[in-house]
Amino acid sequence: MPSRSIDLPQGTLDLLILRTLSLEPLHGWAVSERIQQISSDVLRVQQGSLYPALHRLERRGWIKARWGTSENNRKAKFYEITRAGRRQLEIEQDAWQKLTAAVSQILETA
Amino acid sequence: MLHDLLFRLRTVTRRRAAENELDDELRFHLEQQVDKYVQSGMTEAEAMRRARLEFGGLDQVKDECREARGISFVESMVQDLHYSVRTLLHSPAFTACAVLTLALGIGANTAIFSVVNRVLLNPLPYPNPQELLAARQNDSPPNLRDMQRQTHAFASSGGVNISPMDFTGNGEPVRVHGAYIDAGLLATLGVQPMLGRWISADEDVKGGPRNVVLSYPFWRDFMGADPHVLGRAIRLSDKTYTVIGVMPRNFTLPRELADVFISLWVGYPEAAPDRGVHFMHTYWRLKPGVPLTQAQAEIAQADHRLAEAFPDTERERATVLMPLHELLVGDVRPALLILVGAVGLVLLIACANFAMLLMARAVTRQRELMIRASLGARNGRLIRQRLTESTLLALVGGAAGLLAAKVGTTLLLALRPAELRRLDAIPMDARVFLFVFAISLLTGLLFGLLPAWSASRGDIAEALRENERTTATGVSRSPLRSFLVTAELALALILLAGAGLLIKGFLRLRSVDPGFNPANVITMYLQLPGTRYPQIPLQTNFRRELLARINSFPGVEAAMITDLPLAGNYVGHRVVIDGQPTRAVGSEPEVQTLSVMGNYFGVMQIPIRAGRDFHSMDREQQPLVAIVNETFVRQLLPGQNPIGLRIDWAGNEPHEWMTIIGVAGDVKDSGLNQPVDPGVYAPFSQNDEAWRKWMTLVIRTRLTVAGLVEDVKKQVWSLDSQIPVSGIQSMDDLLALSVAQQRFNMLLLGSFAALAVALAGVGTYGMVAYRVNQRTHEIGVYVALGAQQRDVLRLVMKDGVKLGLLGIVLGLAGAIARTRVMASLLFEVKPTDPATLIGVALLLAAVAMLACYMPARRALSIHPMTALRRE
Repeated sequence: MPSRSIDLPQGTLDLLILRTLSLEPLHGWAVSERIQQISSDVLRVQQGSLYPALHRLERRGWIKARWGTSENNRKAKFYEITRAGRRQLEIEQDAWQKLTAAVSQILETA
Repeated sequence: MLHDLLFRLRTVTRRRAAENELDDELRFHLEQQVDKYVQSGMTEAEAMRRARLEFGGLDQVKDECREARGISFVESMVQDLHYSVRTLLHSPAFTACAVLTLALGIGANTAIFSVVNRVLLNPLPYPNPQELLAARQNDSPPNLRDMQRQTHAFASSGGVNISPMDFTGNGEPVRVHGAYIDAGLLATLGVQPMLGRWISADEDVKGGPRNVVLSYPFWRDFMGADPHVLGRAIRLSDKTYTVIGVMPRNFTLPRELADVFISLWVGYPEAAPDRGVHFMHTYWRLKPGVPLTQAQAEIAQADHRLAEAFPDTERERATVLMPLHELLVGDVRPALLILVGAVGLVLLIACANFAMLLMARAVTRQRELMIRASLGARNGRLIRQRLTESTLLALVGGAAGLLAAKVGTTLLLALRPAELRRLDAIPMDARVFLFVFAISLLTGLLFGLLPAWSASRGDIAEALRENERTTATGVSRSPLRSFLVTAELALALILLAGAGLLIKGFLRLRSVDPGFNPANVITMYLQLPGTRYPQIPLQTNFRRELLARINSFPGVEAAMITDLPLAGNYVGHRVVIDGQPTRAVGSEPEVQTLSVMGNYFGVMQIPIRAGRDFHSMDREQQPLVAIVNETFVRQLLPGQNPIGLRIDWAGNEPHEWMTIIGVAGDVKDSGLNQPVDPGVYAPFSQNDEAWRKWMTLVIRTRLTVAGLVEDVKKQVWSLDSQIPVSGIQSMDDLLALSVAQQRFNMLLLGSFAALAVALAGVGTYGMVAYRVNQRTHEIGVYVALGAQQRDVLRLVMKDGVKLGLLGIVLGLAGAIARTRVMASLLFEVKPTDPATLIGVALLLAAVAMLACYMPARRALSIHPMTALRRE
């Protein structure tokens, strides 16, 4: 396993999924690939947590699922962010930025 | 929220489809991943392996997805149930132990709850029972009528007096219970006759028509359940009555047993107008919405008016009304509640054992649990699985307990004391089933949760470590197990102390000298019909002739008295003593009044303390004589020589003085635990009250009872074929009956205590045995290193004995705190009686020691080599 990958902190996965889906509907595998790509392979999504997270978000009504056809013509389950999901994304993004700002402030000054 | 709910609902309803979709989704993911790896140059097989490895446990992911979707609960419960049934069937010994333990605990509780349910919780069998009141004191018919007229709080009220009546004309004469009633009684109780009608108010007058209403059993047994019985004439105590009604099957009076109902003014006109003789139980029905306090206030006013109008007899009136239910169960309640508490403790102990069994099982099943855990089962899921198992066990235990309770209630019925005698059946209704279900569920959840929780964190890990031999000492000190054993022993001691006190109290009670010798005395009750024996000389002739005939039997000595000791009947009269200053009318001392004939004191072996016994010349036309008891002398003639003093009944003008010729030893007339009242014995033949038509034969004999009873009956019927002989019982039985309530309490609490001690002993044994088992290896090493038997014993027993002592000390503290509750049930024993407490503590200590010693002996037989080989 590449040593430079970082395990995601609890709760952050939801944020990343929502963010990824806010651009376009994707199936689960693509979500994990996208996160890995965008983070230049630093963040690696444990598949074991990805799917429960997707199902949980679906239950909360932040994303919805529909069956479609993948780029290589296979049946795949696509997830799409909902309006409530976008609102949630804003809230979580906001919170995340505040948190990181505060943390880095401490790291720089203390 | 709504979205969430709909979502869950959908997933539940389309479970199959959701399951397939999940499969498809995850399979798609894996395939994508494999494709990716293949494209980057891996072989297909290697790509597959890599993808699977990365993905982790597929089942676990599915499980978590299901959980994320919220569908898992019902489903996993069904799974758990399947699994539990399978594993429980695999270990029948464990299952049997657990079920049996719970069956005992739950069974005992259910039996007691059934009684409580029937006696304390069930409403009275009358409509709107909350409106029904009863007066604590008896009253007379004229007073009842006056009070009915003067009060407004009541919708109706009525009174009843039960007197024996003779039913003849149907073969052998039969003694039946006649209820002399007032017309308002039935309206008050609110029950309609099944056939015909009730006695109306205008018939309830002197000279009214001779009508009778029958009880259902009387109608069934003596009238052949004749549907056309109305209008038939029957003979009761030498008078003919016309049947006008039959009561429904389940109707009974609140406190009284009655076969026939007759207007008091019609059936007993001599007694009805007597204001001073308070012999009726009275019942009152409140108008809806009227509070008890207002009713009581009106009754107090009526009392006051009566006391002013009739100071001779009514000066001391203080009628207290109380809810009928309260009056009926008030006496039994404390005993029943203590039993409920006791049996609750038994359940707690059984539950503790149950919990320990589950814990031991958890440890033996650790491998399985570990495997499941490593396969990805999460902690919460494991706990839930085990809760399902314990709850299943508890429910099965509860069902078995229900069976045990059925047996238990049958036993209870056989033992029931007089207070519960009206309890002809202890039915198990929906409430009992609900009780069992609730108590089982609670037991399973609560006491399953304890070990499941402790196993999920501490115990298993600890047990595993033990197996790996990584702990230096190898001592498994599960705090929960220690706590349970200590608690069990403490609870058992509390119960044992209660039982010990009751047993001691009961022995005290039984050792009370009743004042007579009950051995070999048989008694029978007779009553002369007033129509054929209206005058005293006729009565005296019958009595004298009957006694003479019985006394002519060889080996038999017979006498008679109005009311036997301990039989519950009591006639009191106010008395004046010649030469003492006159007291205000109505405030003279009251004494128990008894008439005797024959050698009563000799037959009963009641000692004559001073003066002389009656002899055959103390009869009619001779000077009036009386014998008083010791309490009479102590209370009314302190420091005087009673012999030769003269007494008479208050209000008897001019006085016909009776001379006191002797003092008889005190007799416990009202009960072994009751104080003796002053009493006066006088000869039947000098009696001046024709209404004393009844008598009880006391016969001392060594002959077989059955033959004698038949011979006596023959003699009675040869004198008068219409007189029933009833109440045939030995004085020993009567004595035993008088302490039946105490016996009942003692037996019940005693058996609960025995059950508790047994369960606690088993629990202690289980704990020590378990520890010996866990430490086999250690003990083996210890022995190999040269430890003596004594050292091994000490090592093994140390913990158990420590816990035992702690439990006993705690139990003693609990017993002292709790037994105060018991004071009401105890006779001449303090709830903190040191001898009893020390005794039961020693007994329990012995049981605990034994429970520790038995497994410890097994430890002694551990051979070092075997122990080490077990590795």
